[in-house]
Amino acid sequence: MNHQILEELLSIARDPYPKVRDWKRRTKGRIIGSTLADVPEELIHAAGLLPFTILGTNKPILKASTHLPDNACSQARSDLELVLTYQRDFFDGYVLPQVDDTTQHLSDIWRRNVPWDFFESFLLPRQVDRPSARQWLLDETLRLKGSLESLTEREISEEGLWESIGLYNQNRRHLRRLYEMKRRYSHLLGNRAFFDIIKSSMWWPKEEHNRLLEGFISSIEEADLMGKREEGIRVVLSGIVWEPPEIMDILDEVGLKVVGDDLCVGWRYIDPDSEPNGDPLRAIVDRHFRKGPFTPIYDKGNRVFENLLDLVTQKGAHGVIYLHIKFNESQDYDLPDLMEDMERERIPLFVVETEYQTTHLAGLRTRIQAFAESLMEK
Amino acid sequence: MGKGATGKPKAKEVMKQLTKDYYGKALKAHDENKWVAYTTAVSPVELFHAHDIIPIYPENHSVMCLTGRMMPRLSLEIEKRGYTSHLCAYARSDLGYREVGESPIGGIPDPDFLLACNAQCFTLTKWFQVLSRRYGVPVFVFDTPQYIRKDEARRNILTYVQRQLAEMIEAMEELTGRKFDYDRLREVLGYSAEASRLYKEFLDLASIKPSPISIFDALIHMAITVYLRGTKEAVDYYRLLIEEITEEKVSKGIGVIPRERFRLYWENLPIWFKFRDHFDFLAAHDAVILTSLYTHAWSYDFDVSNPLRTLAENYTSVFSNVELEERAERALVLFRQYSLNGNIMFLNRSCKAVTFGVFELRDMITEETGIPALVFESDMGDPRFYSEAQVRTRLEAYLETLDRMGVG
Repeated sequence: MNHQILEELLSIARDPYPKVRDWKRRTKGRIIGSTLADVPEELIHAAGLLPFTILGTNKPILKASTHLPDNACSQARSDLELVLTYQRDFFDGYVLPQVDDTTQHLSDIWRRNVPWDFFESFLLPRQVDRPSARQWLLDETLRLKGSLESLTEREISEEGLWESIGLYNQNRRHLRRLYEMKRRYSHLLGNRAFFDIIKSSMWWPKEEHNRLLEGFISSIEEADLMGKREEGIRVVLSGIVWEPPEIMDILDEVGLKVVGDDLCVGWRYIDPDSEPNGDPLRAIVDRHFRKGPFTPIYDKGNRVFENLLDLVTQKGAHGVIYLHIKFNESQDYDLPDLMEDMERERIPLFVVETEYQTTHLAGLRTRIQAFAESLMEK
Repeated sequence: MGKGATGKPKAKEVMKQLTKDYYGKALKAHDENKWVAYTTAVSPVELFHAHDIIPIYPENHSVMCLTGRMMPRLSLEIEKRGYTSHLCAYARSDLGYREVGESPIGGIPDPDFLLACNAQCFTLTKWFQVLSRRYGVPVFVFDTPQYIRKDEARRNILTYVQRQLAEMIEAMEELTGRKFDYDRLREVLGYSAEASRLYKEFLDLASIKPSPISIFDALIHMAITVYLRGTKEAVDYYRLLIEEITEEKVSKGIGVIPRERFRLYWENLPIWFKFRDHFDFLAAHDAVILTSLYTHAWSYDFDVSNPLRTLAENYTSVFSNVELEERAERALVLFRQYSLNGNIMFLNRSCKAVTFGVFELRDMITEETGIPALVFESDMGDPRFYSEAQVRTRLEAYLETLDRMGVG
């Protein structure tokens, strides 16, 4: 296994800003930041810009609290803090998606308080169960396309968009392949390393990221892994993000192997691909509607639960860890029913409630350890 | 029913009777094979009236629970199930009611259908999804993207919202097995348009000096337009109310408080279980809260000639769904129109949709008016998050500041 490539990927995940600044200096490229989730990165890429997913900061909140009350979730406050304090001059523009009350206000507050050369709100449909949503997202994606073209003063060609779609599909395929390898050879690639690699993909130019992934995957394929397949306690992660990152270290330490997830910074980012036929904008829109469930977005039935149930069955998981960001209202409303549903299905569920700024994790480690032991006993 | 000197019934008595009749009819709905739809206070309820579906507003029922001081008892019931105490007090009160069955009005009927419009807030869509799972009935998320100030976006948004109105009509036809009657919709919309116009006229009485009404009157009387707009009763009610206030107060120059010095704006929903106390406390200091964007949320301006378009426009552009700059501009219109000289901004833990923009609004409004704002945090319905001494001290200190500035 090529440890040098792995280290390169992990160093991007640890702190992307110096490296991406360096990329910017070298290429004279421009960076467009977007908060989670579902901004069509391929479109930004096809405009000749670098899409960069803003995943907040674990550093202290200094300024955001003067704009957003403390009962806004720490994801929103940390994203705002990042651009108010820690990376104020990093971005050239923003496309901020709206999915709920917090992201709607965040968009306005951001526009008013953060310097920018380019700003767009991306108004995602908050229902996906009726035909109107699809046409709306197409209209909104077209609007974003026009807006990006005004910024760059050049047209996004159909051919260029297909190229970007191909590049992003390729990246997703590599990451899914790596996920499969992680499931089989978890001694080679732990939870933290794998999910860090996904993070690095959300930050590093895809052309280069694909090259790194190809090298890394080949090195695993070439390694003699016969007979080294590991069994262990398999868990599915549910939620939006995994913050603070030490959570993933704890899972590694106690021997829990993540075999599936529905995170916005996990499976939902790397699956599915866009279908490479028809009209490229429609292909991007169509992909959106084939993604896994996302808690603020309404779909028929009880999709978060149904999807989790499928995941647990398909992956043979022993239990589910639900990552709850405190004050995330959408998760707050899902959780009580979800806990009851899981109990009815006799699927062990462990809820982790944290904030981006949570630093005392000793108690959490003990509780996760106890959960792991309870799964071992089953 | 009590009558005034002219022999006309008193508006408050009429309101009581209308409310009693409305809930009485609703509670009998299932026995009479009528359909019941839960809906949100800001939503195209005209479609329900036109299709003979009885709309029920869990929010209104929650207000009754909150003013009836049933919190935190109801909330504690659902906190046992894992719901947190920082969710919307309306939702907690409603979900708690469903656990214990206690209600100040004997309850509300169970739903056959749910309509959640997110122009008002996102919370409602999640709350109604919980109810949808509980009762096994469909929920229709009526999605109104933020009405941002970009022409292309606005055109697209209205098209999207209109498409959803058509989808909702289809869903209602499927539910009831009856064809939708567009002529009836025009009739209903006519009533809504007139009730909304009259409701605004009633609210605007607060621009008179001294003001014959306070926001507390608005909070009481808005109930009718919330749940009966689209009916003739609502139109008649606001006519009667305006006549009554004009006759009893405006024509005689009588204000709602004896000495009016501080004419205040209120940002956010009220603290429902305290609003009478707040009125009395402020009145003792020659202060009165006159208006809020919240009470104006039902001041619609419907164009009856184009029903679906006008429904889309009105329900998408409500104050909680526009950009903060536009929301501030609308508040500033009220400052000018009502000659306001003070600004109380309530950070309502219960309501993220209205509250998360308050710091920005304060800056924009203060910059324009030069009037400092009092910002304080509490909860609209849960006394556990209300500190009487702190609120009173801060109100007093604020009025002293205005006094020192020579306001009023």
